[in-house]
Amino acid sequence: MHQFRCQLGYQIKNMRGDKLCIVTFLLPILVGLIINILPSVDFGTLGEAAFGSVQNDLPEEAVIWLQGIGSLTEYGTAEELKEAVENPSTQMIGVLRCAEGIRTVLSGDELELYETMGKTLPQLYEKRTDGTIFEETVIPVSTDYDGLRALLIAITLVTALFMGCTFNAMNIIGEKEDGVALVNQILPMRARTYILQKLALGFLGGTVSAVVTAFLCIETGPAQIVPLCALVVLSAYIASLIGLFVGRFSSGLMVGIVYIKIVMILFLAPPILFYLLIPEDHVVCLLSYLLPSSASFYGLMDLLGGQTDRLWIHLVILAVHAVVLSGSYLFIAVSKESRR
Amino acid sequence: MWKGFAHLLKKDIGLMVAGKFFLLALLSLTLYSCYINLVYVNLDQGTYRVYLYDPQKMYTGQSAFITTVNSRQELENVCSDSASVGIDVSGDAPEIYLLSSATATADHYRGLWGRAVLTGLEEEEETEIVGAYDKEQKSRREITAEFLFFELSAVGFLGLASIVFKEKQMGVIRVHGVLPVHKAAFILSKLSVFLVSDLIFAVLLTWLNVGIADSFMILPAILVQAGILSLVMALTGFLCAVWLPDFKQFSLFYLILAVFVTTPVFLAGQTGVAWDWIVFHPMYHLFAAVKSAYFGVRTSSVLYYFVCIGSIALLFYAAYRILAREMAKEG
Repeated sequence: MHQFRCQLGYQIKNMRGDKLCIVTFLLPILVGLIINILPSVDFGTLGEAAFGSVQNDLPEEAVIWLQGIGSLTEYGTAEELKEAVENPSTQMIGVLRCAEGIRTVLSGDELELYETMGKTLPQLYEKRTDGTIFEETVIPVSTDYDGLRALLIAITLVTALFMGCTFNAMNIIGEKEDGVALVNQILPMRARTYILQKLALGFLGGTVSAVVTAFLCIETGPAQIVPLCALVVLSAYIASLIGLFVGRFSSGLMVGIVYIKIVMILFLAPPILFYLLIPEDHVVCLLSYLLPSSASFYGLMDLLGGQTDRLWIHLVILAVHAVVLSGSYLFIAVSKESRR
Repeated sequence: MWKGFAHLLKKDIGLMVAGKFFLLALLSLTLYSCYINLVYVNLDQGTYRVYLYDPQKMYTGQSAFITTVNSRQELENVCSDSASVGIDVSGDAPEIYLLSSATATADHYRGLWGRAVLTGLEEEEETEIVGAYDKEQKSRREITAEFLFFELSAVGFLGLASIVFKEKQMGVIRVHGVLPVHKAAFILSKLSVFLVSDLIFAVLLTWLNVGIADSFMILPAILVQAGILSLVMALTGFLCAVWLPDFKQFSLFYLILAVFVTTPVFLAGQTGVAWDWIVFHPMYHLFAAVKSAYFGVRTSSVLYYFVCIGSIALLFYAAYRILAREMAKEG
């Protein structure tokens, strides 16, 4: 154990001179700091309907009603409103005064949810004075929750975690290029020790970076600390394993960077896109669990949103990934060893 | 002085073929097109579903939005996704049951939607449609613009730099110092090869994903924006590659560029979030111009083109000076 600690100390010392690793380590922390500093007014709430109107056109009652069900932006002229509705980046619904109530303007490219909302909004407005009395039970999830802020924090944390693969992959490739890998073969060091050292390197890098970022961005309650730690540890372990794979299969630095690029795009883009665009039980969303980053991302989003009941599913999925990846790596390493 | 230009071009194309650049571009094209055509165009966010628990069968209306459930427990289970509305009419007064989506306004709307669906919505009336595209056309244009931007800004940058690093390793820069070829020709040949390949990539990506007929009118504008982006990124890649001593340090810049420069732009483009500071992000304007080109909107001002041409000229001058310095250093 003492020997392993000494060797690991040497590995970390070796990595200290590597600017790429240091920057990869510090970048998520820096972004975490920026997210923390950015005023919260910058973060529009995600999942809220956006309405647009022309100044002084809608009756006061309609303005208050619309502000209760979404965000309302007022434009100076009808032309400006039309431009905002047409903007392909938004799902804005234009609302104008009509004889008895309101009428809506759509751009025709909205998602189904907003298309139906736009088409039925005048009817909903009319029904606001409907006499039927309903009781309403809303099960709360969290008190202060900011959708976009949570999304940015989750993206930064998942990036920090899966960047863990950069630490050991770069280290292994660098050693390969310098010939250290060849020297290692004649040194009395077992392949297992080498793998464990590199695994620990990536794991420590990813974990420390993610923990510092989480400390900066998330206000955790005592109940969330254990699941958060489990998520971080499992994800960092998987990332570190992926780093070992990248290190093993890259012949040079250039190829390694291309692999890391592919891993980062493949791991980060699908969960974010699917989270933004499709419902949770959609088949594509379920398929995305084939990527370990999806489980980490959805788990983090649940944690940030205060939902802890589904968290164990994400942890189990991560554990399965960890076992399968460890098994595959061991299989490859052992079969190569026996061939030698 | 420019006699060797054709030979330089031939050498650069050869290097790109050897570096599997075209193969990678083809693979990216296939991957992007498959993703757009098979996955992205099918993504949608459905209307909030309404679940009704009505043991006394009091509800007699018909609505495509309502699904009936058999017990209160089932109602609570199906409403656990924070995008559904449950209505329980078994008590004295009808009860709306929903799991908060953490946005008060969205919850309020879901409540109103549940009531409206239960009390009966009339046939949808005609709504004024002001846009020129339907959802699929919009999705195709939007995501193609985003992929083109990503490919040109992050991947093109890496391609040119990897060639320059290879040449540096091979000692080509040292040899060029004594050859009767103008330094500008050395830069221009690389720029033109990458520009042409990026433009071909842009055309193919657009044809495959927006459609040949649909892209006929917008293609010239897309090519202008893709050209500007390609030149800016290729010159930046060239500058960094000549200036930085090794590929490892270069990859730092690449990392920062790929993850932390294009992500905010991508997010701002996808979600339409109003970030005031995004106007100071130079890449955002390039992205906005590419996107506008895909939607056939002419938003870019004369100032934008003026700044672009100015930046390209400035980058070219900087690349020229640094190349001259490197050649002098190499002796």
